[in-house]
Amino acid sequence: MKSSTRTEKGTVIVDVVGQIDMGSSPVLRKTLLDSLKATKSVAINLSAVRYIDSSGIASLLEVFKEARNSQKRFVMFGVTGAVLQVLQLTRLTGIFEICETEEQAINA
Amino acid sequence: MSFHLKFVMPSHPRYLCIVRAAVTELSLVHGFPEESSQGLTLAIDEALANVIRHAYKGRHDQEVELNCRTVDDRLEFTLLDHGEAPDPARICGQPMDEVSLSGRGTHLIKAVMDEVCYERVPRGNQLKLIKYLPAAKVGADKK
Repeated sequence: MKSSTRTEKGTVIVDVVGQIDMGSSPVLRKTLLDSLKATKSVAINLSAVRYIDSSGIASLLEVFKEARNSQKRFVMFGVTGAVLQVLQLTRLTGIFEICETEEQAINA
Repeated sequence: MSFHLKFVMPSHPRYLCIVRAAVTELSLVHGFPEESSQGLTLAIDEALANVIRHAYKGRHDQEVELNCRTVDDRLEFTLLDHGEAPDPARICGQPMDEVSLSGRGTHLIKAVMDEVCYERVPRGNQLKLIKYLPAAKVGADKK
């Protein structure tokens, strides 16, 4: 897994590529939480993520909770394929804020 | 002739991607559609992650054995570890709080596999995961 961050219209966007599993999810968790500390709005781009396991989902949930508790925003976009399947299996599609496109994630 | 693939590997997360690639290809070869193959891969990955996390308490230098077999109408995955016996409550799959951070791995395994059977054996913990082949499942559903 590799990730990089950029800022668009005040939202920090974390672009993630590859597979998120128990080996890589702690790194992603730290990247997202650090981004959330530095801004009021964080979006994660999952369009190039081919796999995510329950530890990755737990990391996303932790960031979601932190954002909610600190009255900030955490949104996902590019959720397709294997990632969407895991979110559905864990019944979490209704919990997260999920946008179809980056533009929607930034402007919503 | 049946298919048998055996992994004997350290309990380190870096090897999980190798198993995932093999399980995905194995299930595709046996006729599972892509979405089911992804689910199967997820279930086996979660089971291995549970071994590393719980049986071996995060230690990365222990041995994990995974056997993947075709048996008549099904794929059988048998995991063997030599770590601590799991908490019975965890095997059963805890009811999930809406945003709980843990306990989703076992839930995922049970949601994907047709049969999940844990047994404490002389060599350690054995978890057998069974998924019926697509053609067999259609036949079983018709009966």
